[in-house]
Amino acid sequence: MPLMRHSNEVREMAGELGKYKLCVSARSADKAILKRAQDGGIVTQLFKFALEEGIIEGAIVAGPGDEPWRPRPFIATTVEELMSASGTKYNISPQVSWIKEATRSYGLDKIGIVGTPCQMQAVRKGQLYPVGLRDVPDKIKLAIGIFCMENFSYQSVKQLVEDHAAMKMEAVKKMEIGKGKFWVYGQRGQVVQLPLKVTHKYEQPGCHVCLDYVANLADVSTGSVGSPDGWSTVFVRTRNGDDIWSKAIAAGCFETKPIEQVKPGLELVTKLATEKITKNQKTVEERAKFGVNKSLRNPYLGPK
Amino acid sequence: MSKIVEISPTTRHEGHSKLVLKVDDAGIIERGDWLSITPVRGVEKLALGKTMDQVPKIASRVCGICPIAHTLAGIESMEGSIRCEIPKDAKLLRIILQSANRLHSHALHNILTLPDMYLPGTDTKINPFSPQEPVRSVAKRIQRIREIGQTIGEIAGGEAVHPSNPRVGGMYKACTAHAKTKMYDLAKEGLVLAHEQMDFMIAILRNYQKRDWAEVGGKQIPIPKTLGYHNQGYMAAHPMYGSSNLDDCPGWNPDRWTDVRPWDWYMGEGEVSLADPGYPIGGTSPVGTKVNPQMEACTGVPLYDGSPVEVGPRARLVQFKNYDEKGTIGQQIARQMEYPDCLYTILNALDDYNPNGKILADHIPQGDGSLGWAANEAPRGCDVHLAKVKDGRVLYYEMLVPTTWNFPTCSRALTGAPWQLAEVIVRGYDPCVSCATHMIVIDEDKRLVAQKLIQ
Amino acid sequence: MAETIKKEEKPVADKITVGHVHMSGCTGCLVSLADNYGGLLTILDKYADLVYGLTLADVRHIPKMDVALVEGSVCIQDKISVQEIKETREKAAVVVAVGGCACYGNITRFTRGGQQNQPQHESYLPVGDLIKVDVYIPGCAPCPQLIRNVCVMAYLLLKGNKDQQELAKKYLTPLMLLADRGTEACGCDLMYDVVNQGLCMGCGSCAAACPVRAITHEYGKPNVNREMCIKCGACYAQCPRSFFNFDVIPEFEGIMDAIDAALK
Ligand SMILES: Cc1cc2nc3c(=O)[nH]c(=O)nc-3n(C[C@H](O)[C@H](O)[C@H](O)COP(=O)(O)OP(=O)(O)OC[C@H]3O[C@@H](n4cnc5c(N)ncnc54)[C@H](O)[C@@H]3O)c2cc1C
Ligand code: SF4
Ligand code: SF4
Ligand code: SF4
Ligand SMILES: [Fe+2]
Repeated sequence: MPLMRHSNEVREMAGELGKYKLCVSARSADKAILKRAQDGGIVTQLFKFALEEGIIEGAIVAGPGDEPWRPRPFIATTVEELMSASGTKYNISPQVSWIKEATRSYGLDKIGIVGTPCQMQAVRKGQLYPVGLRDVPDKIKLAIGIFCMENFSYQSVKQLVEDHAAMKMEAVKKMEIGKGKFWVYGQRGQVVQLPLKVTHKYEQPGCHVCLDYVANLADVSTGSVGSPDGWSTVFVRTRNGDDIWSKAIAAGCFETKPIEQVKPGLELVTKLATEKITKNQKTVEERAKFGVNKSLRNPYLGPK
Repeated sequence: MSKIVEISPTTRHEGHSKLVLKVDDAGIIERGDWLSITPVRGVEKLALGKTMDQVPKIASRVCGICPIAHTLAGIESMEGSIRCEIPKDAKLLRIILQSANRLHSHALHNILTLPDMYLPGTDTKINPFSPQEPVRSVAKRIQRIREIGQTIGEIAGGEAVHPSNPRVGGMYKACTAHAKTKMYDLAKEGLVLAHEQMDFMIAILRNYQKRDWAEVGGKQIPIPKTLGYHNQGYMAAHPMYGSSNLDDCPGWNPDRWTDVRPWDWYMGEGEVSLADPGYPIGGTSPVGTKVNPQMEACTGVPLYDGSPVEVGPRARLVQFKNYDEKGTIGQQIARQMEYPDCLYTILNALDDYNPNGKILADHIPQGDGSLGWAANEAPRGCDVHLAKVKDGRVLYYEMLVPTTWNFPTCSRALTGAPWQLAEVIVRGYDPCVSCATHMIVIDEDKRLVAQKLIQ
Repeated sequence: MAETIKKEEKPVADKITVGHVHMSGCTGCLVSLADNYGGLLTILDKYADLVYGLTLADVRHIPKMDVALVEGSVCIQDKISVQEIKETREKAAVVVAVGGCACYGNITRFTRGGQQNQPQHESYLPVGDLIKVDVYIPGCAPCPQLIRNVCVMAYLLLKGNKDQQELAKKYLTPLMLLADRGTEACGCDLMYDVVNQGLCMGCGSCAAACPVRAITHEYGKPNVNREMCIKCGACYAQCPRSFFNFDVIPEFEGIMDAIDAALK
């Protein structure tokens, strides 16, 4: 399998896809990971590699919580723990809440973290403006971003699954958003698809001002969109991300294909990113004249 | 005829304080008043009615140099009041945090002390920030020792300055095996550096002791052999950690403590009659400046067995290790001698520490208003907090912090020294002045306060 | 942007002058500054002369300086404090409020006097209620790396070339806007200005930032234990939905490299 690096230069894609050095379609070479993963098992595989190579000492992942499909962020320091967290939970997991504790009672100097684009923004803000994050900035060694159109509250997912899809939460094997639908797969093999217009009301309100779809600020970001089933689209963005990704490729962790050679490819990613950002930009503007001569806050203009 | 000199503010220590000195014709101090002029934030008063969980967090913010002592003494006085025993592994984490803080604090104090000292064999005072050798290597070593102390403290205590991990009933988070190993590695490295630093500092201090004079503001001031001598007693609750009313053999006794107001202790109204504009840097207060220590002092005067006592490294060594060197240099040397023990204590505690052990008491009583106290051996001395908790809320709170104990003792130690060296004596106590502003509960005939509280 | 700073590799002879002004704080902010360890020595070697700071140097009266790092709130019943904070404004080109007490009052917001030996010391105000403050560094204790970043940026702003000044201005802008925003802070701000405004997305930064573990997340949204909160302002300032500047943060890699290089 050839190294699928098609460009070594930083490609300045001002705007929707962010800066990246490389974009490929990929999947883990490890069957055990693929079996449990949401898509190409990129997140679990890359963390596993980084953990085994000593690039990170632990990773903040979203593992199983107190209720079915309710995630709980925790610090995985073993491959088993990493594996237990694979798969997407479509509701909020406050990943960044652990970022300081990882350096305290866990004693980590090298941290991995996975999260949505907004969580990657939080991590980078925390590194440049570490107001309450003493001694954290230089310890983030691998930040993996996952694409995200929107997130949901737990109650939202519960209503989608239990009311709209008529399934019990604990009976669900997998949830997925793709091909314009919200998919719910049951343990017993049933498959329910809900049109996205049903899901809109359930979206987390804070997502409607989010101006990032493909985790522009991660070291490596990944999602299913753009690649065939079971494969993931991967953007390698930072120098650090590039370094780790190259090593993982050299170690045979991933199968890759040039993004130009897969369907639907980068075109769809760009289209969805543009749609999200355009729509949310509009929301931000509408908030400025939300009341009668009163506006809602715009975090991009400052803290006031 | 005696004259009054005022040095205000004093420098190279925490907080705001000043010296009002009555000196003879030769400039020798007859009576010295060293007093805090730091505004009184009134933590003991603002604590009333707040929760027993929040008050120690507020108390921590009284001082950023001994926050660990205030956090731990605060929490343990609450635990003493509600009668809550904490699990062993929680206690070990507190001990690690305590020792790590002492390590960093002593190293920081070296930076504040060095400018008074000379490079042996020269008449050059030391500027710790100078990029020249040999000073730069020392400064780097000090910073590395501090980094080791602060990092260990941050792991065990959650934060390096105001620790977030300790809580009433134990600790919030146990340290993992990985964290334990990291602390161990750091402590091992720190031990080597601490020995080096101790030897270096003792050599520098002994060199000062051998000198006949020190240069101050362009003048050669004779150094008396008895610099900083006093005849007061010493008070220490424990060589490293502390003690509380829950201990079988408590190391401190509230019945022996009384408190007088500054009114009874300090000089009254007066006027500066001697000034030296050349005193570094900016001069002493001009002639004619009104002084009134009685009114200006921002602390009370706590007494143990009816007299002022010294607390701090020397008090601990005197009490527990038969140390006996008097004076400012003896006090400074005692501080350096505590370096290695900070690290040995950490290493021993880590040996005992079980990462899977329990760190929070099963049951945390909410309190019935009984008195609890905890005496924590802060870097600069015994820090006693007393509390009464009822239904989870603080009814009474008192902080007797190290520098408050030392104010009157140090004032006495000034006698006999040339006034230009008064600050050298003050700095020997590693004063932390923001800490030292506290409330006093006393009735007019100075009856034992603690007895009154307990009844 | 990385190049912007790197061009200036040789130390510039012309350092800025910095002072530490201690009001009613605990000196924890100064300890945080010192907790840049070796980096502090580099800052003093190359970028800043410490011209005032009672805890570290013998200068007894406030001199003229480029940047004043003010720690602590101001007791308005203490004449010296009030006089010194006004003097600080006159003598310093840039006033930075360092730490929760200077910015927001922090624990001194709970002070209510009545304590020996100065029972009249009842009222403590954040620095910004008495003088104009230019830059805020909230938090308790504030973070050494943020203090460092602000020092480096202040240096670039005052002594750098045009590009460097541009970067410094962009970096400091949100911290200046925080100063403009006001002198009140509390965990409640997360509710008022983030959740109530429909902006929270559940990242967890606020909980990580809180120095007293007052914040937990319930189903992804912050819950503030108001009987633990000490009003330091760290949570709101850390929240990516308080401010997020697209002209700076996406350049994190270059800026962090450059600051590292500057401190070598
Ligand atoms: C709310 C949400 C919306 C998404 N929307 C899109 C989309 O529109 N388009 C798209 O292409 N991809 C989207 N994804 C990403 C996608 O679902 C996969 O998570 C991603 O492709 C990674 O798959 P993988 O097989 O590489 O990872 P795996 O190896 O399966 O690992 C997944 C990792 O994600 C973490 N994780 C799971 N749930 C969460 C969560 N709620 N918050 C933070 N981390 C979590 C887990 O800890 C695990 O480490 C979304 C993900 C989430 C959480
Ligand atoms: S849409 Fe944006 S704000 Fe919402 S979860 Fe995804 S990345 Fe975060
Ligand atoms: S920091 Fe994150 S979780 Fe906290 S209020 Fe802000 S957006 Fe919400
Ligand atoms: S909740 Fe915590 S971080 Fe926020 S202001 Fe209060 S103490 Fe500070
Ligand atoms: Fe102190």
